[in-house]
This record gives sequence, structure tokens and C-alpha cells, in this order.
Amino acid sequence: MTEMEEQSGPPTTLIDPIDMSKLDTKFREQIKSMPNSEELSACFACSTCTAACPIANIWQYKPHQLIRMIILGMKEEVLSSSEIWLCLTCYQCQERCPQKVRVTDIFFDCKNLAAEEGKVPSNIIGLGKELLEKGQLYTVTADWEREDLGLEPAVPGLSVEAVKTILKETRTNKLVEGGE
Amino acid sequence: MSTSNPVLIIGAGVAGMTAAVELADSGIKAILVERQETVGGNALDLYKAFPTDDCFYCFEGNRWRPGIRKCFYRSALIDQPNISLKMNSEVNTISGKPGQFTVTLKVGPQYIIPKKCTMCGLCIEKSKAFHLLSPQCQPQAVVYTPSINDDGAKQAEEECPTKAIRLNAQPTEETVKVSDIIIATGYHEMKPVNMTEYGYGKHPNIITQLELAKIIDPNGESGGVPVRPSDGKPVKRVMMVQCVGSRDENYYPYCSKICCVFALKHANILTQERDGVQVSVVYMDIRTYDRYERYYRTARESGVEFIRGRVSLIQPGEDGSLDIVVYDSLLNKYLKFSVDLFVLSSALEPPEGTAKLIESLGLKSASGFIGIADPISENEVVVGDHIYACGTALGPAEVPESVTQARAAVSKIIQSRK
Ligand SMILES: Cc1cc2nc3c(=O)[nH]c(=O)nc-3n(C[C@H](O)[C@H](O)[C@H](O)COP(=O)(O)OP(=O)(O)OC[C@H]3O[C@@H](n4cnc5c(N)ncnc54)[C@H](O)[C@@H]3O)c2cc1C
Ligand code: SF4
Ligand code: SF4
Ligand code: SF4
Ligand code: SF4
Repeated sequence: MTEMEEQSGPPTTLIDPIDMSKLDTKFREQIKSMPNSEELSACFACSTCTAACPIANIWQYKPHQLIRMIILGMKEEVLSSSEIWLCLTCYQCQERCPQKVRVTDIFFDCKNLAAEEGKVPSNIIGLGKELLEKGQLYTVTADWEREDLGLEPAVPGLSVEAVKTILKETRTNKLVEGGE
Repeated sequence: MSTSNPVLIIGAGVAGMTAAVELADSGIKAILVERQETVGGNALDLYKAFPTDDCFYCFEGNRWRPGIRKCFYRSALIDQPNISLKMNSEVNTISGKPGQFTVTLKVGPQYIIPKKCTMCGLCIEKSKAFHLLSPQCQPQAVVYTPSINDDGAKQAEEECPTKAIRLNAQPTEETVKVSDIIIATGYHEMKPVNMTEYGYGKHPNIITQLELAKIIDPNGESGGVPVRPSDGKPVKRVMMVQCVGSRDENYYPYCSKICCVFALKHANILTQERDGVQVSVVYMDIRTYDRYERYYRTARESGVEFIRGRVSLIQPGEDGSLDIVVYDSLLNKYLKFSVDLFVLSSALEPPEGTAKLIESLGLKSASGFIGIADPISENEVVVGDHIYACGTALGPAEVPESVTQARAAVSKIIQSRK
């Protein structure tokens, strides 16, 4: 009965499939246990999220594919993807998802997990460094803009020193130091 | 017009049985012809049935199941005097004119008298010639295989406590006059032997959904534990593939309509009620019409894996498992799985003999199923003059739809007699 010698279809060696047994089946549960990700498994791959995304056209993995990869257990690929960092966090995908999957929030969770594994792109580390050094990301240089609006030149109550001190105790500092 | 003539019903599945009972209860005689040895048709071993998740055939054997209603068909088919049930029988010829058909029936030999058999099991112990088709069989009686005519069988005939056995029963031919004909011949689940890419028939662990239904039925051989046909070992990984032979111009162009729902039903039973079974479903579209979307959402929530794409390659692994490569069209990647059971959601096709029936009665064909007489009208059960069809004889349908159509056919007949 077990005669299946004659094979149809392409040979396995040429396809080089992803071996499902090598994927991390717990990844899905891990993400689901994180804030706002409970609805992950409700995804039915409609790709509304991708249609809504203003930037996914230049991504290798589109939002619906990333969600799918999470469900399948492709942890390595998702956490080292550049897309989770390129996400504008505009929430368009999340607003429109018909199954209430919190796509943007899930990408935040992915970023957090990636950070824990030290997988943060260098430009993001660069931003962190700037934040640590200057206590703010955008320094107001053009005083005239504020003046034109009738505001005093310096931002009132801005205490970059306090921010710097606090940041030293956060993961941002650990990441920046680890990244150096 | 001989309005007192009975109505002929061909096929005793859910649809034919409903029609018979409804006619009989309205005082109209019904001749119910069934070619198998049990009524119930394809729904006999379905275990839980959508949309209510309980059983439509609530016989003694499954009283313990939660939420079971006792089936009213049970006594009706045998005891209702207006129903004449012809088991093991087929329609031979149909002549005459609408409203006054003359039908000859080939009635199979009645080895066991169902009214007498108490299913005590004595004969089964005496000889292999007797067996019980299913605890849900109807008539509730054992069946006899005449080719195994051994001494034990003769002994059983003598010792049967109710004298229910007649080993020398002969087939007969009967001629009946009927006013109307209801076709309730149902469907057949395609055996996809010709679709070589799926390896059906080449490996014991490649099966169809109806075969899976039998395996997971708590009344079945393994008591509902999913086991591999190859070695009886427990099943841990199941892969299903949708649209096998449906929506395929090489086989059947239509969508079989309910295979998505029963695949989801099976996936949910496996993941929620059985221990540690992982299910993957390979699909092109998941078509869960109206209320059935709920089954899809439940399946995703309970961890069933959905892969949009098609099966690329199947290779028997060691130890009876199957290595399957699937092309995932959403990711544009190939995925490799190792599974214990590969289940094909195979097309629901017209049963054998449908083409002949269509031709001899001059009916229309709808992709091989019985076509409705006037497609523009809303009379979807009227297929000819005094000829009706209901249930899956008209094309793939669920039980509730089949029952509704059976009732519609009966109501048309009652109206025509007024
Ligand atoms: C795997 C699977 C799971 C399913 N699960 C569900 C579910 O959960 N819920 C649900 O609602 N539906 C379900 N269905 C659908 C269900 O099986 C059908 O809706 C139902 O059985 C149709 O009944 P029927 O009477 O129309 O046809 P059938 O059950 O096919 O009955 C037809 C009868 O006619 C007889 N017959 C055929 N030709 C002749 C002839 N020429 N002469 C004499 N007799 C003849 C046959 O032997 C048979 O007994 C499922 C189907 C499948 C395949
Ligand atoms: S919109 Fe929602 S359901 Fe659709 S693919 Fe994206 S996450 Fe999944
Ligand atoms: S939140 Fe990110 S993924 Fe979602 S639409 Fe905006 S950019 Fe795209
Ligand atoms: S011995 Fe007679 S009553 Fe008992 S199961 Fe057999 S046929 Fe039925
Ligand atoms: S019901 Fe689903 S599996 Fe069946 S033919 Fe239609 S789409 Fe395919």
C-alpha cells in the first residue's frame, strides 16, 4: 500500500522549504501574553493591514506577512526584521483590522523582544545615544519660530538634566552601552 | 387523478427520511426505497453536526452524549403504518404519466426482520456473516452477508430468540403505482484517486473527511481517539487540504459549499476535545457562509494553523508519517511539515445512477446533480411534473437545508392534492 515512489512536483532540494519543526512554536504564545496582543490568533490573513499601511510598499515583509510569521513561529526572522523598526506607528493598520488584531501594538511587543535580545538597528541605537547625551531628541534651534508665535525663546520647564538622569536608569541606557 | 396513490421516495438519507415521515404524518402513504442496508445515508457516522453541534441521529448508542435529543425517526420508519420502507432496494423502471407513475422495484432479500431483531448480538457471536453496521443504523437490526453462509449462521437462525433470521430470503420484484416521486438520492464524497498529487489510495494515512469523521466518532473502533490507519498509533499532527476536486475544471467546477465548514468542525473537535493534536489547514479560500464564520474564528483561537496555498509535495516519512511541503502564497515561501494524517476535503459529487435517473425521467442536470425544472422560479424542489428533489440530490447542502427542502417538497405534494 505504501507505494508512493512516483513523485510529482518539484524536488525538495530545489524548493528548500522552511522546516516547520525548526520554528519556535512558543513564539505565538509569547507574543500573545504581551500587552495588547491577545487577539493575535484571530488574524485571518485578509491583508487589510497591509493595504492600510502608508509605508509597507517598500517593505520586504508586509504587515500581514509579519503577523503570519509570528503565528507560524518564525521568531528569528521577525525579531531581526528591519520592518518592525521602520513602522511609523501610525496605527492605520490597527484601526482597520476587521478582526481587532492590534497590529501596531504587536510590532511594539516585537521591538521590545528584539531589544531584549540586543537586536536593535544601529540608527535606533544612535537615536538612543543622542537622547541620553542631550536629554532630548529635537533641540529647538530656530528661536525665531517661537518668537513669531509670541512665545519666549527657551522652552519653559524643560529640564534635560533630569531627563538624562532618569534615562541612565532605563533600558535605553543599557542598550546604548551594550551597543557600544 | 388517483390522489390516494402513495408517493415514491428514492433514497433514505436525512432528506428522504424527513419527506417520508412528514408525508406519513399528513396521512399520505410513502414508499421509501433505499439501496443500502441502513437508512441515514452520509449522515450516519458524522458524530457532532453543525450548526448545533449535537447529533441528528439520536439513537440509543449515543444517549450519553451531551445535548442529545432522541430521534423521532427511529420508531417512525418502522412503525408508522403509512411508511413502507424497502431496504436493499432499487428502482428498476418508471413508466406511466405524471401523477400516475408505474414503478417496478427490485427489493433485496430480507434476511433479518427488523421489527423482530432486538440486536441482542447472539448471531454475531455465532457467525461472521452477521454484523452491526453502526450503532446508529436504522432499521435497528444486524445485517447478514449471504456469501459467508457457514454453519454458525444456520445455528443463529435456529437460536435467534426472536426468530428474526431468514437465511433463505429471496429478492423480489414489486410493481407499485405512485402519484409523485421525490428524489432524495444525496451525494457521494469523491474518492480522489485520480489526483495523483495527493496520493490518495497510495498511503493508508491519506484519507478523506468522511473517513476522518468515522475515526473521530466516539462510537467508532478507537472510541473517538484519532489514530493512524497504518498502525493504530495516536495521531499528533493532522493536515487538511481544501478544495480537492472542487472548483477545479478538471473535476468539478462548483464549490462543494460545506467542506470548509466540516473541515473546521473536525479541526475544532481535534484541537479542543482530543489530547495534544495540532491541525493545519491548507486552503485557497475559507468559505464559511452565514453563521458558520464562528467555526473559523474558534478554530483560529484554538490554535489551528491556516496556510493559504497549495500542497507541493508529499513524501512518506519513516514510521508511517508523511513529509509535506506546502507553498504558502501569503508569505511566498515553502513550508515543510511532518504529519500523521493527511485529510482531503474531497468534492461532493452526484451519487452513482444519477445520470440514468435524469435521463429516464427527462430531468435537467445541474453539474451532474438533479437540476430544478424552472431555474427562474423559486420552486427549488420542483424538478419535473409531479417529480421533486430535496437535499443533496440537488447539490451539496447541509442537513438543515436538506430537511427544509424535504418539507418543501412534501408541502408541494399536499397542496397539489387539495
Ligand atoms: C465529512 C462530512 C461532514 C458533514 N458534517 C455535517 C454537519 O456537521 N452538519 C450538517 O448539517 N451536514 C453535514 N454534512 C452534510 C450531510 O452529510 C448532508 O447534508 C446530508 O447527509 C444530506 O442528506 P441527503 O439525504 O440529502 O443525502 P445522503 O445522506 O447522501 O442520502 C442519500 C441516500 O440515498 C441512497 N440512494 C442514492 N441513490 C439511490 C438509488 N438510486 N436508489 C436507492 N437509494 C439511493 C443512498 O444510499 C443514501 O442512503 C457533512 C458531510 C460530510 C461529507
Ligand atoms: S488586517 Fe488584521 S486580520 Fe487582516 S491580515 Fe492584518 S492583522 Fe490579520
Ligand atoms: S502602524 Fe506601522 S505597520 Fe501599521 S500602518 Fe502604520 S506604519 Fe504600517
Ligand atoms: S440473534 Fe436475532 S435478535 Fe439477536 S441480533 Fe441476531 S437477528 Fe437480532
Ligand atoms: S466549501 Fe471550501 S473546501 Fe469546499 S469547495 Fe468550497 S471553498 Fe473549497
